[in-house]
Amino acid sequence: MSKSLSMALALVMLIASATVVAAGQTRPIRIGYLQADIHQLACWVALDKGFYQDEGLKVEVAGVFKAGPEEMSAFIAGELDMGYVGEAPATTAVANGAAKVVVLAQVNTEGSAVVVAKHSPIKRVQDLAGRLSAVPGHSTVQDFLLKKALAQAAVPAGKAKVVVIKPPEMIPALRSGQIASFIAWEPYPARAQSSGVGRVLVRSGEIWPDHPCCVLVADQRFLKTRRAEALKMVRAHVRATDFIRRHPEQALAIGVKYTGMDAATVRLAMANVKYTYHISVDGEKQYVRFLAKLGYIKVKDADAFVKRFLHGELLAEVLQK
Amino acid sequence: MRWGRCIAPLALLATWQALSWLGAIPAHKLPSPLMIMAGLVELIQRGLPPGYRLDYHLLYSLYRVAWGFLLAAAVGVPLGLLMGWSRRIRGVVGPLVEMVRPVPPLAWIPLAILWFGIGVKSAAFIIFLGAFFPIVLNTTSGVLAVSPALQEVARTLGAGEGDVVRRVLLPGALPSIFVGLRIGLGIGWMTLVAAEFTGVKSGYGLGYMIMVARDIQRADQVLAGMVVIGLTGLVIDQLLRYLGRRLMPWQGGG
Repeated sequence: MSKSLSMALALVMLIASATVVAAGQTRPIRIGYLQADIHQLACWVALDKGFYQDEGLKVEVAGVFKAGPEEMSAFIAGELDMGYVGEAPATTAVANGAAKVVVLAQVNTEGSAVVVAKHSPIKRVQDLAGRLSAVPGHSTVQDFLLKKALAQAAVPAGKAKVVVIKPPEMIPALRSGQIASFIAWEPYPARAQSSGVGRVLVRSGEIWPDHPCCVLVADQRFLKTRRAEALKMVRAHVRATDFIRRHPEQALAIGVKYTGMDAATVRLAMANVKYTYHISVDGEKQYVRFLAKLGYIKVKDADAFVKRFLHGELLAEVLQK
Repeated sequence: MRWGRCIAPLALLATWQALSWLGAIPAHKLPSPLMIMAGLVELIQRGLPPGYRLDYHLLYSLYRVAWGFLLAAAVGVPLGLLMGWSRRIRGVVGPLVEMVRPVPPLAWIPLAILWFGIGVKSAAFIIFLGAFFPIVLNTTSGVLAVSPALQEVARTLGAGEGDVVRRVLLPGALPSIFVGLRIGLGIGWMTLVAAEFTGVKSGYGLGYMIMVARDIQRADQVLAGMVVIGLTGLVIDQLLRYLGRRLMPWQGGG
């Protein structure tokens, strides 16, 4: 008797679990973002102000990452549905056939800066010739920006030495004089300033106005099977971005809460970032050509790649209403 | 008989390749052996970052490992001899060694950068930490395993303490020291990838190259880098074994 009872119970549980799996819809949307990256403030605003709930969405933060490539690895592993991530790591991961994501909206443009030591003799970009500068990685948008800045300042290629250092190590390296400058995303330039170590030599917006930076991406399978939810995510993102622009003080408080940094630093960092959801198509094209030229990706037709990679349909739908 | 040894790895590679062809192993998760070979060829011909070729990555890595390992041997072997020779030194230094030993070399990276900057010194320091402890501990245990009777005989025959260490303890402990050196070199080589994550000024290094491949999601080149690290480790280990056999002909094996 007890045997058949337990068997019946097991059967019920099996059916129940199968239904849950089949329902699919009940599974929360797994999102990821970068730790303390002030570009991705919209994500924290949407989480903090309950914009996802307002859309009837269940969102689970499935990963907080130190750098974009790590977040892209999580996408490749199938651990994320959507994410706030740099356009650069997303582009290389897709172009190299590893990840299958598309861009649904811009998160920000600009928001990086070249920083030199506070009392450094370096006054102009030209002065970086013959000195050592740090970038967060090859093929990053910062690498591209520095190359662009040096070219604009007519510093011949190879004249300025470049080393890869991960951003958390950049400020100590600048402080101890091991590097003459670094280029990084906010909040690292702001932190270098507020800690009295460095000053901004040139903001990335001056090197390349409105250059693309972070984007909201979605896994293609997720987009196919749960498009309605993806649309709502984009709507929440648009609302959060508008919120930052309309209520900068409240957004600042959320930035302080999520980064653990002081208000002055967050304010400084936010001032260097353009929060926008409009996808920068030309910027992405430029970037793809740069990566292909240097041999990091193999893309013959940049225009066709960008067309597939940037998926502005949902954003257009949201903005229409 | 030697060919017999190759059967298992070759069968594994063939199965792997076949499964990749059949689509059972998705290439973006685990590239096929042929794709890894192609990645390796690309690393040799063009390099990664493009222009930074594999042979230089290997040379720079060997240079860092040589520094870290030689330093570890230069400090570890004498210290191990002293610890084996004197109970008092063992009592003082032993607990310290045991306390620092379990700390993973990776945890030292932030401090290594603060102390030694981002050049060869900090990488060598991390590798040193990986190699040092096996060398010290194996040397100590090698000395302790030398029969006390042999030492007594030497002393009775009028040998001073210096002679006892040089002529009795050192040769007696040599097989164990070599085991320590081999393990230390292996671990030092293993910590290389982590050590080069601290950033390298030259832009060269196998660990650094793997990091770049990771950043652009080229799993084939990550694996190709791992193959190079594995093969190089194997060659170095064989060299040490050979050296051991030459120095200790009485040992027979290695």
